[in-house]
Amino acid sequence: MSVIYSLIPGMMFLGLVFFVIMIWAVKHGQYEDMEGDANRILQDDDEDMMP
Amino acid sequence: MNQQNAHSTCNCFHCGLPVYAGTSYHALLEGAERDFCCLGCQSVCTAIFEAGLQGYYQRTPEGVLLAPPPEPPRDIDIYDLDEVQQEFITRSGDLRDIHLLVEGIHCPACVWLIERALQREPGVLLANVNLAARRIHLRWDNKLNKLSSLIRALARIGYSAVPYDQENAEGVIKKSNRSMLFRLFFAGFAMMNLIWISIALYSGADKGEFREFFYWMGFVLATPTLLYSGYPFYRGAIGGLRAGRLTMDLPIAIGLSVTYAYSTYITVTANRIGAVYFDTVTNLIFVILIGRYLEGMFRHQALSATRRLTELQPRVATVMQDGKEQITPTRAIRPGDHVLIKPGYKVPVDGIVLEGQSAVDESMLSGESAPVSKSAGAKVTSGTVNSNGALLVEVSSALQDTTLAKIIRLVEEAQASKAPIQRLADTIVPWFVLVTLICAALTFLIWYGKSFELALMAATSVLIITCPCALGMATPMSVAVASGLGARHGILIRNGLVLETLSRVTHFVFDKTGTLTEGKMSVAVMRSVSGIEIPEILRSAAAVERYSEHAAARAIIAEAEMRQLNFRNVAVQGFHATAGLGVQAQVDGKTVLLGSLEWLTRNGINPDAGLQAQALELEAQAMSCVHCALGAAHVAVFALADRLRGDAQQLVNELRAAGIAMTLLSGDRRAVAESIARQLGGMEVIAEVLPQDKDRVIQRLQQSGAVVAMVGDGVNDAPALIRADVGIALGSGTDVSVESADIVLMHNGLDKVRLATLLSRRTLRTIKQNIGLSFIYNVIMVPLAMMARVDPLVAAITMPISSLVVIGNAARIRNLFNHEKP
Repeated sequence: MSVIYSLIPGMMFLGLVFFVIMIWAVKHGQYEDMEGDANRILQDDDEDMMP
Repeated sequence: MNQQNAHSTCNCFHCGLPVYAGTSYHALLEGAERDFCCLGCQSVCTAIFEAGLQGYYQRTPEGVLLAPPPEPPRDIDIYDLDEVQQEFITRSGDLRDIHLLVEGIHCPACVWLIERALQREPGVLLANVNLAARRIHLRWDNKLNKLSSLIRALARIGYSAVPYDQENAEGVIKKSNRSMLFRLFFAGFAMMNLIWISIALYSGADKGEFREFFYWMGFVLATPTLLYSGYPFYRGAIGGLRAGRLTMDLPIAIGLSVTYAYSTYITVTANRIGAVYFDTVTNLIFVILIGRYLEGMFRHQALSATRRLTELQPRVATVMQDGKEQITPTRAIRPGDHVLIKPGYKVPVDGIVLEGQSAVDESMLSGESAPVSKSAGAKVTSGTVNSNGALLVEVSSALQDTTLAKIIRLVEEAQASKAPIQRLADTIVPWFVLVTLICAALTFLIWYGKSFELALMAATSVLIITCPCALGMATPMSVAVASGLGARHGILIRNGLVLETLSRVTHFVFDKTGTLTEGKMSVAVMRSVSGIEIPEILRSAAAVERYSEHAAARAIIAEAEMRQLNFRNVAVQGFHATAGLGVQAQVDGKTVLLGSLEWLTRNGINPDAGLQAQALELEAQAMSCVHCALGAAHVAVFALADRLRGDAQQLVNELRAAGIAMTLLSGDRRAVAESIARQLGGMEVIAEVLPQDKDRVIQRLQQSGAVVAMVGDGVNDAPALIRADVGIALGSGTDVSVESADIVLMHNGLDKVRLATLLSRRTLRTIKQNIGLSFIYNVIMVPLAMMARVDPLVAAITMPISSLVVIGNAARIRNLFNHEKP
């Protein structure tokens, strides 16, 4: 059972890492435009290259 | 329109709207002849094909209907001036960053088209479209390209873009809401982890070997939560104490500190008697932060009203210097300068007309819809719109001294002096806080004789169990649910707190033009001489009037259209208009004259005595009359009036039945205002008032003890809307009035005022119920806690339950409009 001595702090640390990542993402505008980027990725300029 | 639809042969290649027979907009694109509905679509589509971006049409998602392109923005050139750009760009030098607000973006294909088109322009380094916010982030090299030519490039492919000041628009409030959201997230994260630890402790771990370990983990999680997420409570409590007030933050802060300190003491001393309450600390912070966040979302953004007003004032003007036109920023203009105002432009300053003749739309100031004609010697006011002729104006006052600036100052004054809304919860809180503190202190003293630890624990549990969460959530939660429900029924609540006030309103003040009436002229009465049918006259009159731009012409055409008269195919020759008098043309070989009585006599026609008498009678009822002559005889009179809105009568009746006093406030002539009041069954009329007087009327009513709601739609109503206890604007109104109001009624539904009142009453009742519920909870739990009978498990279970009950009760507001159509 002594494994929880490392597992619980580990879990908290991971949670904290995700929290920091989320704040970073919000501050850098990753959630500003939910539709635009989702569609932009589908619209490349590759008509000429298509067989 | 239905008639025309029948003739449509195909759909516009660009926007998909039906193309009517008889219109001829075609273009030869890639060898195929395409039809368009309008010139806008044709030129946009041609430009897209010329740029080789026709892939746009394949990328447009199925089922998305494009719209005809919006009108390109006017005076783009001013955005090249450094003084003007300064307000928008975030980087100086030649490499510049700007955000543009774009009209006309409707689907992902637009993103593709705009980005491709801009990247082909020389000097563009970055073009990034934000589809959700309809904005472009643009970075360009000012040496290689000008901003105006980039905006023009956008206009060519059908998008209208204007610079957008992000810092101002997003505002401080949004930023503070975001930091609140981060604190909330963190508290949520800590709370979820602590719940697992608590479950472990309650299910037996507090007896075993992991006890110390779990306590320390709780300490590790709770410490940063208290410092980071709990910071707003400490700030609020200390701020309140400094100002000599007992705020809700105080018991929260004391409760949090004591609970935390006690738990830490138990943890550090490895004491075997007590238990830790770290989970209570985080739970409390999380739940109350939710309430605070909801409250923050509905806070009034009053600042933006003045900003919108300032935007009404044009940034640049054309100054005449030594006979040459010179574009000058408005703030460099001095009294005495000569300014040229071209047709279609806004008047940048207050001044006196030197040369030229034109009609000026002053609806923003007077609320009067018909343009006022101006010639040499007349006064013009900044912010009004010059419609059809160029005017040379000598500046009498600029910037801070203009009428518009005075309205801005009035708005600011009203904002500053308006008493904060006294919320129901706020009146109870100080007493509640006081009682809680006394109870906790008593508990401590009573148990101190027995043991210090027991006394501390009992006092702490009193502080915790009084649970400000339920009380703290009572108002915000109800307001949040009510706002959501209102939005679905076209009632936009911008300032949630007025929901409490609206149900107490004793006096409604209505603006006339555009609020109780439709705000545009329509034909109210038609009289003709016997022997000639009215439709026949109307057909000829409408045929002539379609060449005129006058407000009366639009009313006559609208009437003819409503009667489905086929006047569009009537041949009209020799159309001629004389400003201020009337129009003349040939129809079917007969001369048609339309205009004032003077216009008819000038053209040698003897007025018909019967019609003349009827016209006098109609004019006494505050209608304006257009006389019509066919051939050489005076045949008809059209009386024009601003018609009442369809739902105005019903609303007024209901308010009267509810015993609410009403006042009609109008900038218009007394006779007109009184005739409207008579039609509505009579109410107090205050006519011929200036914007600053509207504000004063409201103030006077408030001083006599009335709780006033103001319903309006114009710029001139803005100070009054802010001054009133509840400001209600119509969605069709100007941006400024919408920004000044607490409640906005969408789709112009005046009867929504009734729904809003219902909603407000229901919300207030729910808030009262919620406060009652949290009191009942306290009445049961506090004595138990004072007797030291509440163990940690009971506290942990009952606390969230009391919050859930409050939330559940608030959610019941959603059923209020089940019988109303959305």
